[in-house]
Amino acid sequence: MSLNIDSIAGAFYGYVPFGDIVFYFTEFSLIGFIIALFFTLVVYLTKPEKQLESQIGDFGDKLNYVSLEELKIRRLMAIICGICTAFAMLTGDLFDYALFLAVIGIANMGIVSAVKKEGVLSAAFYYGIIAMISTLPLFGASALILAKTGTLSILELAKNSHDLLFQKIIYAVGMVGETGIAPFYAAKAEMFRAPGAPYILMIHLSSLLIIVRTVEIMLNIH
Amino acid sequence: MNIGKIWNYISKPEVVPRLFAAFLCLILAIEFFVPTTYYEDQLYPKDTPQGQIFKSHLAPYDRGGIPLIKPADIKTQYPQFEPIKGKITAYLTPLSLWLSEKTPYFGTTIVSTPGGILDEILYYTRGMDTILESLTLLISFMIFSWIYLNRDRVE
Repeated sequence: MSLNIDSIAGAFYGYVPFGDIVFYFTEFSLIGFIIALFFTLVVYLTKPEKQLESQIGDFGDKLNYVSLEELKIRRLMAIICGICTAFAMLTGDLFDYALFLAVIGIANMGIVSAVKKEGVLSAAFYYGIIAMISTLPLFGASALILAKTGTLSILELAKNSHDLLFQKIIYAVGMVGETGIAPFYAAKAEMFRAPGAPYILMIHLSSLLIIVRTVEIMLNIH
Repeated sequence: MNIGKIWNYISKPEVVPRLFAAFLCLILAIEFFVPTTYYEDQLYPKDTPQGQIFKSHLAPYDRGGIPLIKPADIKTQYPQFEPIKGKITAYLTPLSLWLSEKTPYFGTTIVSTPGGILDEILYYTRGMDTILESLTLLISFMIFSWIYLNRDRVE
């Protein structure tokens, strides 16, 4: 079967085949890929921020900083998260994309897991629970789409109409839980209070790019 | 009811999983009644559950073919990207061949490389999926081991 490149939105620049899973480049996915990789490089090169907490009604300010052992694990997790976000922009397979979301979700928890603050850790714990229960709609929707259309390739699904509205709704709900976005933003906002700016911002950037990419996929398949 | 109270209620992290679970229940309850169809001409066809038990020692991963002689007949999306399609499943290392003759349950055990069964779909046709699945497990072990080893560290 030949590769269907006509129905995909945007100009098609090329593809990288890994068996049935084809990574493809369009204007959109290429821009997302470059942004994610550039930010990964920034995370690798920069030093983490130091926070100065003013004490209200008390003397002395409190300095929050990231120690070296903590920095190593958090930087590693941020880089894994960045690389997975970059390649999630390119993947041309629904199930593969769902797995990228799962990896990004667990790497997000890894970024804050080294912070010894009760509020941050409990928020990460509840975010983990959301990510766990949202694997059911995410992978379930992939299975439903495979059962209904017989294929998982986004390029093939874009070719002709399959009436996938309800499967797409479940898939989007799974993405909402896995990246922890609005309207369920609360647990993640607590996670953002952890010190260490570039690593924490990686959680934010990956969520944003994943949301935009999911919208693009949902518009492409039909 | 004051809307500020509602905002304060949903701002607590422990409430968020409950709200999300309720939302999910609602969506799935609606979706349960939506009629859907089944497409017969599926990719990656599989034998019926328990269909190969005691008939093949590679059950449930027997996809046909003779090791190193005849490749299995596998249905995939893009055959042009898979030059050695069908040969992965049929290939067994000498150790795994010996093991598979001894037990009818060889296919259900993961006797890891070089002894294990290599499934075509898992390791060749959709190999990227397997990489990501094991990466998820690996990352969770990394996080757990870091937390465990640094459990006595104080700020």
